[in-house]
Amino acid sequence: MTRRPTAKIAAYVGVAALALLAGLALGRPELVAVAAPLAVLVVAGLAGARDPELAAEVTVDRERALVDDQVTVELTVRAADPVERLEVLLVVPPGMDGPDGAVRSWAVAVRLAAGEERTVAVPLTCRRWGAYALGDVHLRAHDRFRLFTWERHLDRQAALKVFPVPDALRALVRPFETQVSTGSHVAAQRGDGIEFADLRPFLPGDRPRSINWRATARRGALMVNQRHPERATDVVLFLDSFLDVRGPAGSTLDQAVGAAASLASAYLRQRDRVGLVSFGGFVQWLQPGSGQAALYRLLDTLMETQVFATAAWKGIRHLPPRTLPAKALIVALTPLLDERGVAALFDLLARGYDLAVVDISPLTHAGRAGGEWDELARRLWALERETLRHRYQRLGAAVVEWSDAMHLQQVLLEVEACRRRAGLAPG
Amino acid sequence: MPAPRRARTRLACGLAATAVAAALAFAPLAAVGGTLRQALAWLAALGLLLAAGAALRLASLLAPALVVLLAEYTLVLVGRGGRVHAAAPLVGAGLLLYAELASWAREARPRVRDERPVLTARATMVAASALAALGLGVLVLLAAAVPAGGGLARLAVGVVAATATLALVALVARPTSTRAPRG
Repeated sequence: MTRRPTAKIAAYVGVAALALLAGLALGRPELVAVAAPLAVLVVAGLAGARDPELAAEVTVDRERALVDDQVTVELTVRAADPVERLEVLLVVPPGMDGPDGAVRSWAVAVRLAAGEERTVAVPLTCRRWGAYALGDVHLRAHDRFRLFTWERHLDRQAALKVFPVPDALRALVRPFETQVSTGSHVAAQRGDGIEFADLRPFLPGDRPRSINWRATARRGALMVNQRHPERATDVVLFLDSFLDVRGPAGSTLDQAVGAAASLASAYLRQRDRVGLVSFGGFVQWLQPGSGQAALYRLLDTLMETQVFATAAWKGIRHLPPRTLPAKALIVALTPLLDERGVAALFDLLARGYDLAVVDISPLTHAGRAGGEWDELARRLWALERETLRHRYQRLGAAVVEWSDAMHLQQVLLEVEACRRRAGLAPG
Repeated sequence: MPAPRRARTRLACGLAATAVAAALAFAPLAAVGGTLRQALAWLAALGLLLAAGAALRLASLLAPALVVLLAEYTLVLVGRGGRVHAAAPLVGAGLLLYAELASWAREARPRVRDERPVLTARATMVAASALAALGLGVLVLLAAAVPAGGGLARLAVGVVAATATLALVALVARPTSTRAPRG
């Protein structure tokens, strides 16, 4: 521990010395009577001061939580010698609130007897998704006379992942093409399934149960039903994390991550395979997978998403080919701010991917225009973004602007309607 | 404990320290008169200003505040002549009480929630220190009144005490930080 003398010790010693010297010079015992308590207190403090032997541990009651959940951080301190006052300060990371609404840090002062162990439970409220490392703790011990302080910094790194609360989605963007595995999407192909597709004449090898007897009676020849099979699809969530526009109500990246978590959860419930590409200064990817394990893998990766400023050019060619399987539906969540992200989407369209773009509008997070020129700049910006969306639409992508006021479900319905208008959506 | 209550602890200690400092600064003025009183009134005002600053704002003003209050008291003693001032232990205890309250006010950060045993122990410590200071001052004055070996012996005791205090100054002034590995 680092020992520091307080301002008091120098003041006491200096004043006591001055008073004693003055008393000696002037022959006044009163000054000695004034100086004596200060000097005695310092001597007693110096005699009794010794480095406190402290041990500390930091634990979190769980490893995963949802936004707005409360987690408890337990700080356990043990002292070999008595500590008159021990300040325990827990650094509250941005995105979390301490007790009584404390931000940045929360501190308590306790008194420890020799050999005593104390556990301080600090409830923290998770306000934002993300991967947190709790356990940044500062200890400051005081001696009985407050002449010295001993300081120590602990960095125990108790990990906590806070996931966004997934939105309940009833309708999702349907893929244009499906994969061969069984799932919940009605495929465009014909085969064994439930949904009726067409009638055709009976051929040797057809099962008798597929004969449509009414059509057979009408046409005078054996007719069989053809059906659409239910197939799974590969969905790749493409997260543009080059830039983030943050406002008082949240940020574009917050919206994107929340939407990605909701979409991943909903698609995986439908037995689809879901992959992730976090495309930004720091590129992360996950190959499409299915099941609960894939969901956790994906959420864990999502939580590590952050804006990492870099000027290096990033393109689709930096991604492993299996990250973007053929026939996959790519749902891009992007604020359309960085040209590398914008270019990557054009590249995906050029490669023939089924692309749906959710344009997370940064205009709502950028704040209100302050004056005439601000308003003009804002309108120009909105116009520029509108032009960009039209360029994507001309190339066959469904693009929908997501303003802060809209629910994700509304956005998805609009994407689906847009794809239907463009003749991309099945049905 | 909500934050405003914690801030009240700090304010209460600071105001109490300032009140003690005001008493220390202005009470001795009654013992003197004339131009010295007017001059000391300015010194008392300066002392009070520094004391309030140390208690309410800047801990580094503690030493200057104590020095000014001590200087004022020394001048009062000089103005009184040869008579022993019987209230000197009260002044010593008052100075200590002021300094302890001022340092407590600086120590009670609004963001730190002090548990009740900490506050109780601190209040007990301050009160005990002030009482002990009072007792020690009385003992010193009584010892000074005892005829022990004439002026030379007393001078020798004074020199030894002053030297010991200067040694203490040197001890405190030396680098005292001890470091342990972090984590």
